[in-house]
Amino acid sequence: MWIIAKLTCREILSKRIFHITLFMSFAFLLFYAVATYFAAREVGEDFTNRPVSADFALVQSFFATQILGVGLYFASFVTALLAILSSVGSIAGEIESHQIDTMLARPIHRRSVIFGKFAGLGSLLVIYAAFLFLGVLLINQWIGGELLRVEFTVVQAAKALAIFVMQPLLLIAVALLFSSMMTTVNGGIVLIILYGIGFIGGFVEQLGVLMEKPTLSNIGIISSLVFPLDSLFRKMTVYLFDSAGDPLSFAAQGLFGSLSTPSGAMLMYAALYGCAALWLAVRRFSSRDL
Amino acid sequence: MSDYVIETHRLTKQYNNDAGCRNISLAVPRGTVFGFLGPNGAGKSTFVRTLLELLVPTDGTGHILGAPIGSVKSRENVGYLPELFRYPEWLTGRQLLETHAGLCGLARDERKKRIPFLLDRVGLSGRGEEKIRGYSKGMQQRIGLACALLSNPDVVFLDEPTSALDPIGRREVRELMNELRNEGKTVFLNSHLLSEVESVCDYIAIIHKGELIVQGEWRKLSAVKVQVEIALAPHADGLWESLAPIVVKAEPIRKEDDRSYRLVTLSDERDIPVLIHRLSEAGISLYHVIPRIPRLEDVFMYWVSRKESESFDVDYR
Repeated sequence: MWIIAKLTCREILSKRIFHITLFMSFAFLLFYAVATYFAAREVGEDFTNRPVSADFALVQSFFATQILGVGLYFASFVTALLAILSSVGSIAGEIESHQIDTMLARPIHRRSVIFGKFAGLGSLLVIYAAFLFLGVLLINQWIGGELLRVEFTVVQAAKALAIFVMQPLLLIAVALLFSSMMTTVNGGIVLIILYGIGFIGGFVEQLGVLMEKPTLSNIGIISSLVFPLDSLFRKMTVYLFDSAGDPLSFAAQGLFGSLSTPSGAMLMYAALYGCAALWLAVRRFSSRDL
Repeated sequence: MSDYVIETHRLTKQYNNDAGCRNISLAVPRGTVFGFLGPNGAGKSTFVRTLLELLVPTDGTGHILGAPIGSVKSRENVGYLPELFRYPEWLTGRQLLETHAGLCGLARDERKKRIPFLLDRVGLSGRGEEKIRGYSKGMQQRIGLACALLSNPDVVFLDEPTSALDPIGRREVRELMNELRNEGKTVFLNSHLLSEVESVCDYIAIIHKGELIVQGEWRKLSAVKVQVEIALAPHADGLWESLAPIVVKAEPIRKEDDRSYRLVTLSDERDIPVLIHRLSEAGISLYHVIPRIPRLEDVFMYWVSRKESESFDVDYR
């Protein structure tokens, strides 16, 4: 398994798409830092002459969480994209090219390939996701100034990070399932549509809670059951902003926060969802013709 | 220890379109080069891929070195060069071998000796540090061969191993197969190139339209007909008719000066001295008698047509 994991890491690191993504990620962080710097300066000028009040605290909190939320949302999106692109063809592509034949003619179980790929892709994507998450957080803390800096503890950040890096792991597990079942293109399409369902369902749910429309909220819940990725992001924001149950913070978090808090059961569901996908991938791959 | 390294019983792999291989019962003796022959699409690769668990059999059983196919143990002592060889292009030749050495559990010390030895053995000495993407098709097949031999396996499956090689490369692979046999290894050679099989194989099996036609020692299977080429002086008409039933057929080959050359098919090898005696008795001068060993192509066609005629008989009975 570890040899396959090592090979998988090596493969991704050797791909141009990874180098480009890494370069663009630095570019994003640079842009985000510049945007945060100017936002902090502009907002600072606006608020200089205003008296401190509850409204002021609300608006300031809104700006701070929105700026951080949008950064994290984009980080989550880029991580998801990289996870999908790097993993959906990792088995299907090798089956199509017959590259996997000589490997499987060795005395190894097929499950080692699935677990090896998961370990290789997972470790790289976890590092990448953590790098983006911490990058966005550090920019917020250092450049955001007093007005845009979101207050949170190290424990909060650690919890949020743990949930944040679960996102690529979930995506990789599902991608490996599709990769062991269908061609790269088909698997990619299905996974992107699933991602879209989770993405849109998440927003619909937030709007449903905001407008007190249970149907919209239920659509969001169903989409989370179909693909619980968005729930992870929402849970992460709850951990980071620590505002669940506080009506003031609900309003402050806006579209990139979490108006409805995903439960602990949903977190468990997401973890089981990933494990089930991996288990099915092993079963499917072990019994299929190559 | 069994005398057979590969044994299958009615091993079948059928696809939805009825292609594949059916009811293949095969026994491959240890320490031989075993030629698995058949035209393109006959089911040769399907059979090998089923043995190596790349395809799931639809029926039947099989064993490699005593272990049931599909088990990890059955692949512990096996090397494989696929027909459609493709390796990670971003690895160097040496890195590829290192990776496969890890997959087959080769000890580090052993790797250090084995990898340079094999790179040299397949003619890639000094090219091991180059990326595979820079290799020619022939070089990729060579690194594939090195990969197949990496764990010093007892059984090596070579599926069309010379398809991308030039004549020199082909000769080298033939030599390699002979060396492996001398070391007591068994080579399972999948090929549609009859000349390749003819020159190295001790045993052959012929597969046609997914079914096993015949298997056995090449020397015995090749004795499908006894033929001699003879050169003799002019003779009276009706000579060959008078020599029936010893002579099955006497086809004229050519005429040179006053000698006529014929390819004579006899019903039995023991009839060769009888033929010479009878011609001598008839006072016909005999200039030469050369036994003609049938080419594999003839043997192949013989067994295939025999099988087809049997099927034909069955259909109309």
